[in-house]
Amino acid sequence: MAPAPAAGAIGPLLHPDRSIPVAGYILRRLIQAIPILFGVAVISFALVYLSPGDPIDRFRTPTIRPEQLQGLIRQYGLDRPLPEQFWSWLTSYVQIWHEDAWGYSFLDGQPVLGKIAERLPATLLLGGTALIVTVVVAIPLGILAAVRQYSWADRIISTMATIGYAIPSFLLGLYLLYFGGVVLGWFPLFGLESFGSQGDPLDIAWHLVLPVTALAVQQIAGWSRYVRASMLEVLHQDFVRTAHAKGLPGRRVTYRHALRNALIPVITLVGLTIPTLLAGAAITEAIFSYPGVGQMGVQAVTNRDYPVVLAFVMIGGIGVVLGNLFADVAYAVADPRIKLD
Amino acid sequence: MAQLDIVAGVARDEDDDAIDRTPVRTYWQLARQRFLRHQLAVAGLVTLVALVVFSILVPAITGDAWKTAELSKVNAPPEIGFNEEGEFVLAPLGYSDIGQNVFARLAKATGTSLSIGFAAVVIIVVIGVTVGSFAGYFGGWIDNVLMRVVDIVLSLPSLFIILALVSFWGGGGIWVIIIAIGITSWTLAARLVRAEFLRLREMDFVHAARALGTGSRRIMSRHMLPPAMAPVIVAATLGIADSVVVEAALSFLGFGISQPEASLGNMLTEAQTYFFRNPWLVAWPGLVLILIVVSASFLGDGLRDALDPRQK
Repeated sequence: MAPAPAAGAIGPLLHPDRSIPVAGYILRRLIQAIPILFGVAVISFALVYLSPGDPIDRFRTPTIRPEQLQGLIRQYGLDRPLPEQFWSWLTSYVQIWHEDAWGYSFLDGQPVLGKIAERLPATLLLGGTALIVTVVVAIPLGILAAVRQYSWADRIISTMATIGYAIPSFLLGLYLLYFGGVVLGWFPLFGLESFGSQGDPLDIAWHLVLPVTALAVQQIAGWSRYVRASMLEVLHQDFVRTAHAKGLPGRRVTYRHALRNALIPVITLVGLTIPTLLAGAAITEAIFSYPGVGQMGVQAVTNRDYPVVLAFVMIGGIGVVLGNLFADVAYAVADPRIKLD
Repeated sequence: MAQLDIVAGVARDEDDDAIDRTPVRTYWQLARQRFLRHQLAVAGLVTLVALVVFSILVPAITGDAWKTAELSKVNAPPEIGFNEEGEFVLAPLGYSDIGQNVFARLAKATGTSLSIGFAAVVIIVVIGVTVGSFAGYFGGWIDNVLMRVVDIVLSLPSLFIILALVSFWGGGGIWVIIIAIGITSWTLAARLVRAEFLRLREMDFVHAARALGTGSRRIMSRHMLPPAMAPVIVAATLGIADSVVVEAALSFLGFGISQPEASLGNMLTEAQTYFFRNPWLVAWPGLVLILIVVSASFLGDGLRDALDPRQK
């Protein structure tokens, strides 16, 4: 047996022979993502520019002089043909190292990129916490339900999963706000932190409880079902029976042999859940007045703040593309049987 | 051809004269049998039908009560029976903060939500089947182009796009909501139909039809579409629930349907303002929403088992 070459942090996961194909695969997938993101850009541009009204509608007050209006039209480039407008918008959009690459918010004149950078951490905190809670809660539940199939535990978990999956997250958010915030008064009703708390982690955690629960419950329901199905499939495979047959202790078979295989497809879920959490964050943030990108996006739609709307659509598109890429790569890395193509 | 009474297993057993006279059942008979065995699915179907009846019957009895705001009835308790003018009043859930009959409004809202769900699913199925069948049948560059379009639509943050479409074009119009949901949610249907068409394309009966000189259009619509529909019907059932939830979320955020029109979403928004005085106002529309989602998902499970037993 050849001595194992030194591998990095992901050594046990990533066989060294596969590191080159993986890098090439990621590169290939990133290149493939370009036309998709281009399509997303076309659609989001069309969404905004084909909408009734135009960006300078808000300047059309009775007191404005026609020449001022003409100046604005020229300033916004609205007198140029649509493809040309699209192209100048797109070429500016990719230069994210410029502060004004994504334009300025109509609402407060701030650069859109800056506004996003300011609010993204809060959204990542909310979504990331929801993801961690989902993983920590759903995987043990799914395993328990599968290992004790048809037991009371399984039935309770499966029923709860069905109910949890059926409650739309905005409805759950509303009820949580009512019971946790209003009736019991245990949790704060809005925001990321109390006024003047200066980023006290405990205070922030306190504010996160309700929105994270609202976001995570549906995910936990979906994940636990998925983990259960995946685990059951593995438990019925021949190698598990062989492991039992050669006298290995049941726990060892379940938690070493079966579990590792059952969790491989679950890795894919992480990638696919990220965009869902981002989308769910928009509504959850709106309900809990949580100062993240989602709330900003919803406000931008209300105020027809087109540059911010465009930015949110683009971030969503990039999130989906990266999430899918992550899912596929992680899957291939974790399971050497998967061929990269 | 007239229906023949086909009998299976007529081969006689040497020792036994018994003939298996179990009649061969058609696909639909088998499907119905499999469906009826699925108790939760039957319950889901019954619930959905009951909700449809509820949403038609109650407004028929109570007339304009769902939008009439009576000052004298603000937060009035439940009442059923004839009032002083001899009119029949059906308000078992009492009245809201602006004096609207909550029961009548709930029925109207259920109707609005379900109609939006059904109508959006019609759009989803039409686009999905068209795109999926062309991609699967013709393959090659047509498939390539159409599937890239699917990838792009899948990459859009759909809820947000719907929000923007409804807000920019809307004015609360119900058709804008339906179309917005429809044009962003057809990708799953398209993928399912494409997969079925890819499979069916190589089947003998399709080759036979082609050899007999049948045109592409007829092969697609008459020969391949019916057997490809099973997964689409399942997806459409679940699509109704998804669309109802999206509409409720939209109206809840204030982008969808607004007063005096009723939807489950805007009932929730209104109720949210009166949390303290009347918490039940929040419970009812939420309950109907959950009922719709649960029923549709059970119905979808049952239909999958019934129509598409290979899938599971």
